[in-house]
Amino acid sequence: MAPTTKRELLPGTLDMLILKTLGAQSMHGYGIAQHLLRMSHEVIRVEEGSLYPALQRMRQKGWIKAEWRQTPNNQRARYYTITAAGRRQLGAQQAGFAELVTAIGRIMDPA
Amino acid sequence: MREWLARLRDWFRRDALDGELAEEMRFHQAQLERDARVDGAVGGEAAYVARRRIGNVTLAREEARDRWSVPWLDHLQQDVRYAWRGLRRSPGFTTTVVATLALGLGANVTMFGIVDRLMFRPLPYLRDPAQVHRVYLQTTIEGRTRTNSTIPYTRYLDLQKGTTAFSDYATVTERPMAIGVGDAAREQLVAGVSGTFFSFFDARPAIGRFFNSDEDRVPVGSFVVVLGHSFWQSELGGRDVVGKVLQVGTLPYTIIGVVPPGFVGAAIDRTPAAFIPITTVPANDELWTKDTYFTSYSWDWTSVIVRQKPAVSDVAASADLTAAFIRSRAAQKLINPAVLPPEKAHPRAIAGAVKPAAGPDASLESKTLLWVTGVAVIVLLIACANVTNLMFARVLRRRREIAVRLALGVSRPRLALQFIIEGVMLALLGCVAAIAIAQWGGAALRAILGGEGAGVSVVTDWRTLAVACAFALVTGLLTAVGPSLLAIRGDLAGTLRAGAREGTYQRSTLRSSLLIAQGALSVVLLVGAGLFVRSLDRVKTMRLGYDAEAVLIATPNYRGLQMDTIVRVASRRQLLETAEAIPGVVAAAIVGSRPFGTNTTDLFVPGIDSVPKLGRFNFQRATPGYFKTMGTRIIRGRSFTAQDRENTPGVVVVSDAMARVLWPGQDPIGQCVHIGVHSDTKPCSTVIGVAENAMQQNLTDDQQFMYYVPVEQLYPSGGGDVYVRIAGGDPAASAESVRRALQRVMPGQGYVTVQSLESVIDNQRRSWMVGAAMFVAFGVLALMVAAVGLYGVITYDVAQRLHELGVRIALGAQASDIIRLVVGQGVSFAVVGAAIGLGIALAAARWIQPLLFKQPARDPITYASVAVLIVLVAILASALPAFRATRADPNTALRSD
Repeated sequence: MAPTTKRELLPGTLDMLILKTLGAQSMHGYGIAQHLLRMSHEVIRVEEGSLYPALQRMRQKGWIKAEWRQTPNNQRARYYTITAAGRRQLGAQQAGFAELVTAIGRIMDPA
Repeated sequence: MREWLARLRDWFRRDALDGELAEEMRFHQAQLERDARVDGAVGGEAAYVARRRIGNVTLAREEARDRWSVPWLDHLQQDVRYAWRGLRRSPGFTTTVVATLALGLGANVTMFGIVDRLMFRPLPYLRDPAQVHRVYLQTTIEGRTRTNSTIPYTRYLDLQKGTTAFSDYATVTERPMAIGVGDAAREQLVAGVSGTFFSFFDARPAIGRFFNSDEDRVPVGSFVVVLGHSFWQSELGGRDVVGKVLQVGTLPYTIIGVVPPGFVGAAIDRTPAAFIPITTVPANDELWTKDTYFTSYSWDWTSVIVRQKPAVSDVAASADLTAAFIRSRAAQKLINPAVLPPEKAHPRAIAGAVKPAAGPDASLESKTLLWVTGVAVIVLLIACANVTNLMFARVLRRRREIAVRLALGVSRPRLALQFIIEGVMLALLGCVAAIAIAQWGGAALRAILGGEGAGVSVVTDWRTLAVACAFALVTGLLTAVGPSLLAIRGDLAGTLRAGAREGTYQRSTLRSSLLIAQGALSVVLLVGAGLFVRSLDRVKTMRLGYDAEAVLIATPNYRGLQMDTIVRVASRRQLLETAEAIPGVVAAAIVGSRPFGTNTTDLFVPGIDSVPKLGRFNFQRATPGYFKTMGTRIIRGRSFTAQDRENTPGVVVVSDAMARVLWPGQDPIGQCVHIGVHSDTKPCSTVIGVAENAMQQNLTDDQQFMYYVPVEQLYPSGGGDVYVRIAGGDPAASAESVRRALQRVMPGQGYVTVQSLESVIDNQRRSWMVGAAMFVAFGVLALMVAAVGLYGVITYDVAQRLHELGVRIALGAQASDIIRLVVGQGVSFAVVGAAIGLGIALAAARWIQPLLFKQPARDPITYASVAVLIVLVAILASALPAFRATRADPNTALRSD
């Protein structure tokens, strides 16, 4: 496997990425990390040290719910599910982020 | 906000969350290991790769854990643990403080529970209690004010018609009535209420329905009954009884519903077994008032409850009622010309508290209870002073420890907080014990007070519990703030440098003041206790005008048996003859009413234009044996005899006081009085004798205007109790044989209840009994607490002065000198405290005077005894530390640093 350069995420984007991931389906922590890695073509490698505190924070904010379930391989894992509040949060963050990216694009690439 | 709640919830289950997180990370690591093996790693290499991939596990855990930690909560928990360990290390201190606070708080929780129930707590289910009042009617005649909360039904109708300030009116009467038939019949509290009554409450019937105004009509309402919930449960098993017939009093009623649990109507501290339309009560009660109760004003029996319209003030409501009351009296004057005009009677109506104990004619008993509550607060203050003192001593003892902790970097606010937490914890521990005390004390006090009280429990009463906790918190803060400030003010370096001797001995003025305050307050309470005890003694030794000890009262209840006058008189005579034949009975009589329940009627005396202006004249109907049975002495003339009958000329025996006021300076024997409604048209009754004065209205009655007439000459068909005098000292032992003998001759389903005259009088003595019992209990409590406090302070002082005392002994001081020194210090506290306390008691005397029975509130003997007592206790409390001081070893004292 080709080593990838480690990229720092923009502050606040981790929450959005997790919410987006969980928007498709409920997932455990490892699944979220793998999903982000795969979808970003191995650019975004979330450290467990950031992932789990973020999950706890988002749970306390009421954006996601956690429950223990069996994996397809019959192992016990904690699955996270997005809540209605989480979806609203995702919508807001996504809009804000899109705006930000466009703005940055205008500066970096003045056409 | 929501996030904080989530954090708080997480904080409480943080250990579980830690575990879950650990498991989650193990799973993550296992997955990474599997991935590594798929990529070709073997054995330990897979685990290594996984560990490297997962990064800093500990850091992740720490950061996640931060999410469920709440720093101040963690600190609080630490402090509570620390305080708990500290308290367990000094069990003597902890026990003393907790016990002291438990007694102080317990006294207050007990009193709160009782006074709140009696006066302040709104009636259960009552809608919008602030707008609901009970009506009190007042007249002031010749400077003598009488307040009544029970009034004639006719008056209720007048007030209802004559006022506009109220949206709802209801009237209610509560009385014991027999419920059921045959052997199952029991006397129960029954409430007669108007059809409008239930609309005052937000209550839905547990089953069935309530009655309404259509079923509560003048002259006779429908015979329907709504059952009390607990009666329904205990007597009828909670079955569906709607439509069944129940005998209430003398008549059958149809059950139409059951009130919800806890519903008591307007009853205070008692639960009615049944509610019936008030317009069925006169018909039920074998009373001659049944056809006149809604037109005459001669029967005070109903209480009026009103709901003000929203915009009406209490003052306006009372003014409206007063105007209606005056008009009602004018209507009454048309029937009875003896009614005094407004300018003579000063009629006034008050929309007052629903609970009579908080109303304008509050009984002496409830006033006494309020005072006792004040006393309980004083006991708590004494306890607080004591605990504060103990805490000061503890802070001083721990000075070195505190200095070390400060030196190690504990912040001063945090340190102060720790002391406050310790104080609050002690108070809360005391509170738990106090609730136990209140549970027990409340039951004991209610036993003295009489009344129902069953099912009243402090532990399940959130209102009392909340107050207990609030009291405890305030107490904890109050006692701990001072000592905690002292703790953090200390000079750190100085304390650390000083040796075990802890600097020179100095007595803190604050601590001395606390001690003196305790002494002074105890003296106040003890003076109160002394006054109440002497007052009770006077009540008990006072000549009542009869010898109550050996007298039993048997009350026949005919249960509505319809009897004409001849049968009734025959039955009465049979009861009397049976009573006279009971072994051990030396005298017996039929008596119209009980002491303190005597009646009044119109009285006309030739030559006096208004007898009512002179005062209230009560009459007693009786058979000739009355004076012998009661032990009331005839001073002049004779008593009536069996020869004074319905068809012979009227005779009357008057009390000494009555004779003096009606015929001053003349011979009362042979004078003429006219008795009864429209008395001026009644034939003359001749005064044949003068009896000694007797307490027939209440124990403080200073008029004692009383007259006695033969049963057969006044309301010959009316009822009466059988009074018997028992030979020997113990009437209680004969009560059952009297009941059985009389029961045998009762017609139909009638039954007989027996009580002692003494118990009737005890009801009247209750306020002084309660006052004496509570003041003594609290006074002794206060004295004990103060004595323990003094002992503690002197002991501490002696310990502090051990060095100095050792030097004194080395210099040749005798044991007696040392004892005099130490005891003298204790006594000086007591003397100063006593002086202040006696001063306060003297100042408060005029407020407590009305509660006492013919006992001057500035009684020198009481004051002097209390002063002596407090000094004696001070000597005792300081003697033990004084003896310990004499054993101070000069060698140790001088050799130590």
